[in-house]
Amino acid sequence: MTKHHLPATPDTVHWGYFSKTLAPVLTLKSGDRAVIESITHHANDDYARMIEGDRAAEEIFLWTKDQKTLRRRGAGATDGPFTYGAGEGLGVHLLTGPVAVEGAEPGDIIEVRVIDTWPRPSANPAYAGRFFGSNPAANWGFQYKDLIEGPAPREVVTIYELDMGEAVVKALYSYLWTPQIDPDGITHPTIDYPGVRVDHDTIDKKEGILSGIKVPARLHFGTMGLAPAEADFVSTIPPNYTGGNMDDWRIAKGARMYYPVAVPGGLFSCGDAHATQGDSELSGTAVEISLTGEFEFILHKKVELGGTILEGLTHPLLENDEVWSVYGFSVANYLSELGPDHQSEILKRGSLDSAMRDAFRKLRRFLMTTQKLSEDEAISLMSVAADFAVTQVVDANWGVTGSIRKSIFPAR
Amino acid sequence: MNAQPFTSESYSGDAGEAAWQDVLRGFGLQSLGARQGSPAHASALSRLSSSGVRLGKFSADAQSLRSLPSRAGLPLLLMPVENSTVLVVGEDRQIVAAGQLILAPRGADWQLQFQRGLRAVVLSVPAEAFRGRKVPPLAAVQPRVFGAEGLADIVGRTALATAEALNRLSEAEWEAVAQSAAELLLALSGELVAATSDPSSSRAALLQRLYAAIERSMGSEDISIADIAQAEGISERYVQKLFEGTGESFSHYVRERRLQRAWHDLANPAEAAVPIAEIAYRYGFADAAHFSRLFRERFGLPPRELRRREAERQTHSAVASGQRGWPQEALAQLRARQAAGPARRPTLREDGEAGAPVPGGAARHYLPVYAQHVHWGYFSRSLDPLIEIASGDIVTIETLTQHASDDPERMIEGDPGAESVFHWTPTDKTVNRRGAGPLDASVFGRGAGEGFGVHICTGPIAVHGAQPGDVLEVHILDIEPRRSRHPAHAGRVFGSSVAAWWGYHYSELLSEPHPRECVTIYEIVTEADEPYAEALHSYRWEPQTDPSGVQHVLYDYPGVLVRPGTVTLQTNVLEGVRIPLRPHFGVIAVAPREAELVDSVPPAYFGGNLDNWRLGKGATVYLPVSVPGALLSVGDPHAAQGDGELSGTAIECSMTGTFRVTLHKKADIGGTVLADLTYPLIETPEDWVLTGFSHPNYLAEFGASGQSEVYAKSSLDLAMRDAFRKMRRFLMTTKALSEDEAVALMSVAVDFGITQVVDGNWGVHAILSKRLFAQHESGEAAPES
Repeated sequence: MTKHHLPATPDTVHWGYFSKTLAPVLTLKSGDRAVIESITHHANDDYARMIEGDRAAEEIFLWTKDQKTLRRRGAGATDGPFTYGAGEGLGVHLLTGPVAVEGAEPGDIIEVRVIDTWPRPSANPAYAGRFFGSNPAANWGFQYKDLIEGPAPREVVTIYELDMGEAVVKALYSYLWTPQIDPDGITHPTIDYPGVRVDHDTIDKKEGILSGIKVPARLHFGTMGLAPAEADFVSTIPPNYTGGNMDDWRIAKGARMYYPVAVPGGLFSCGDAHATQGDSELSGTAVEISLTGEFEFILHKKVELGGTILEGLTHPLLENDEVWSVYGFSVANYLSELGPDHQSEILKRGSLDSAMRDAFRKLRRFLMTTQKLSEDEAISLMSVAADFAVTQVVDANWGVTGSIRKSIFPAR
Repeated sequence: MNAQPFTSESYSGDAGEAAWQDVLRGFGLQSLGARQGSPAHASALSRLSSSGVRLGKFSADAQSLRSLPSRAGLPLLLMPVENSTVLVVGEDRQIVAAGQLILAPRGADWQLQFQRGLRAVVLSVPAEAFRGRKVPPLAAVQPRVFGAEGLADIVGRTALATAEALNRLSEAEWEAVAQSAAELLLALSGELVAATSDPSSSRAALLQRLYAAIERSMGSEDISIADIAQAEGISERYVQKLFEGTGESFSHYVRERRLQRAWHDLANPAEAAVPIAEIAYRYGFADAAHFSRLFRERFGLPPRELRRREAERQTHSAVASGQRGWPQEALAQLRARQAAGPARRPTLREDGEAGAPVPGGAARHYLPVYAQHVHWGYFSRSLDPLIEIASGDIVTIETLTQHASDDPERMIEGDPGAESVFHWTPTDKTVNRRGAGPLDASVFGRGAGEGFGVHICTGPIAVHGAQPGDVLEVHILDIEPRRSRHPAHAGRVFGSSVAAWWGYHYSELLSEPHPRECVTIYEIVTEADEPYAEALHSYRWEPQTDPSGVQHVLYDYPGVLVRPGTVTLQTNVLEGVRIPLRPHFGVIAVAPREAELVDSVPPAYFGGNLDNWRLGKGATVYLPVSVPGALLSVGDPHAAQGDGELSGTAIECSMTGTFRVTLHKKADIGGTVLADLTYPLIETPEDWVLTGFSHPNYLAEFGASGQSEVYAKSSLDLAMRDAFRKMRRFLMTTKALSEDEAVALMSVAVDFGITQVVDGNWGVHAILSKRLFAQHESGEAAPES
């Protein structure tokens, strides 16, 4: 077993898209481990705490009138004139990778074990050693068109501190999003393009919010997944059959994720790390923070899948000590199902009703195929022992997980 | 027939491909295989009409389609949407853009290559759809592509709009749309024939025009060859000659069409009130007796008999697809009749060790379960309470599962309480009303109450001094399973779980036969380090005839004893699977204020069928009181349930609960978590659990039609919206957070989960950990106990 190290640098990250056209920044063998750094795309919500002094973060976020280290942000157009900026913010997550697994071919499954995760400390001497994250209640949130206080609509950013001693996060302050002008002169009246530095002279910080409230930490990566086969550039926002922006806090230390391989090498990328998140990710974001993760990669070849829990798997699957979870989406494979305009069409399709339908079908198939149950047995078991939960209602392709406890199969 | 959803995601590997070919076969199509490599994906939504018209929308990976050799019918209509396709006929290749129509004859040699993914609307109309009306001979014609203009545009738009609405159309709406779509396709197919220059085709086209003229003249008593010839501008002789060519005389054809159209109208339920003579007159039969005689000669039965049979068939098919709650029409009739409330029972019975004092001044009560102590399938503000208790009293309540009848030997026999409740002979049924429907079962004839509500509820219990606006706290101190009293099983505990017609899975079963209902009997093992349930056996539901002589083809009425020998037990079910217990009560309710009799199935603001397993030992539910005395009832005990309750039921198992019931007066709850409570709030030692519903108060929202509408208009999206709003309000009101703080906290610390998708009013709950607030000061006080 080899242990690799993949730092986050301008050369090892891609912003807002998955792509089968990207050359791997690391190629490893099945069984290898890699320590991968990630930097949150919300770091510029508080430059002083989350970027300043951190050389890698400074370089990645560098954007002046003359220079923009990572020009493309999103799967959208890269030729101007732009509405929002290069890539058009069609996809927002700053991902590290891709990592290729030697010998991975379409039809295989890549297992990614999350060995450990830890936060990236602030490098600003004023905050040295402390951990910060940001949580915008954004325009894509479930609340945005349903606010009861004024001004409506509005976006509010809350900055949190993660206390690793107590394993909790606490709110520091919040501010109302104000129109921000980026170095290219484009105004961003809402949060519509990632990595725009918030000028703190334009905002009013509200202190003393959520006072005394401590939210238990749930460190995890919101986005982990492989490159899809259907298009060259795919937005990171809607999760899909090769994983991606799953936003499930259970994909944490101790979890094993299984992803169907769609392109040679698999091309794994990760990012969008969260200090904590609730089921639904209601306001559009979690406590977005920079994390480093240690992962182990195991390749399961297509011919070896029969008779294992991976038989017939066409979607992401989670396993941890307690459960198996299948991921239902509003549209199971939106790239294939929604036609040429899939990346905009999926924005209209978010629905828990269709995600529940998908989760039901996937869990039924899982129980029938891998546990050799009849359909009647599978349905009875799903009613009395499987739990369906809302994963997220903010990532265009909404999610419902169906989970079944492993302990119910002691004699198997 | 309902819209049938299909997706390959339901199947493993090649089974998905085979199932996809089955879907295509229904349309007379076949796939020539998909792209190599990664797994092929296909999904479809399709619907079949009683006349054989089939419409579907496909969405699948790149592949080619061709026609199967098939029975007669109009050419298939295929309309690519979003992506273009390539029509291949022999050596010819023609690109067909999205939105254009392809009319492709059945059984002919053509292919459609969907190179960028298959996305199409397909309409298939068999010859039978026209009931004897001649359709032109179309097998020999070539496929043709139509642009979106004129008639083709109308046909295309109709097909597309129908495809989009397929799962929202009622049965009657769908039948009407399907018939119109068939007519439109027939008209368009006529253009296909007219376009060819071959003389036999032009004769066929002329004949089609004659047929159409006959259809238009159907109402006049005398349609003559002369009229038709004149209308088309040709000679009578030529008309005769054309008909001779078809092997059928003009007058015979006209009579056949008249009889067929009359048949169609007589079979139509929407025309059931139209006198037969009037329908006869519609098609040119002035003499009703003459019509009846001709009709019988042609179809072998008199018109009246056809009507009766069709009505019966329609009722049966409504039963087979299941109908929950009140049908709209029946509710309307009920309002007209000003229905009476539930029959009153003997009032205020005191049983067992009622009223024994406990330390602290509270009293203990015991409510055993037997016929006079239950109300079955409904809640009512008009029921007389069994006992009245004081705030703070402790009451032990025996409850029975309505599913005990699934295995009477294990769950009823030898148990006097259960025997009393389930007692039902041809002459005596101790608990007659089961459900909120009419006592005379005039809607479906299932039985008294019609099974509009199914749960056996013990109660109601009046709480002294409770008034609308107060909050009732029901804390669960203990839950004990009820053991079998049958000598062969004494001391053991059993439960039943039914994968029923109201389950989430029912519309899309994979394996045959379908649809079907399946009952699984579980044993609950309590003497273990970690108590669990395991399956004993299962059986497929078979029609059961109840003691009153009503046959239940579906599980549509509660408490019908399943007789041994009528079902086939399957053992070795879920072998080696142990399900951890989550004992809880599915139903805890106070009486709703809006209606006299309320179906027990849909939960709402008053609690009721919450089906949340977190409501177990150590948990509390707070319910807003809406009638004097509150009128608390408990039932629907469950040994275990998953979030979702997917099949329609949990492990339904009779249990006895001990509750401490506390009344919080309206005046005392300001500043507590109960301030402003308008929905059932669950508290566990760790969490607050808020209950969101598709329709938080469906009785008020839909008014008089609520008990019907709530079944038709449930959605997780609505329930999520409700759960969000409730949690926001809870955080702002009881934790004194601003809206921004509340929204921020909900995103990072509140977990939303699916409670159930089977109780009419679907549920999403929001869980807030109390731990978050250990050091938070909001001025909130705990409710006083």
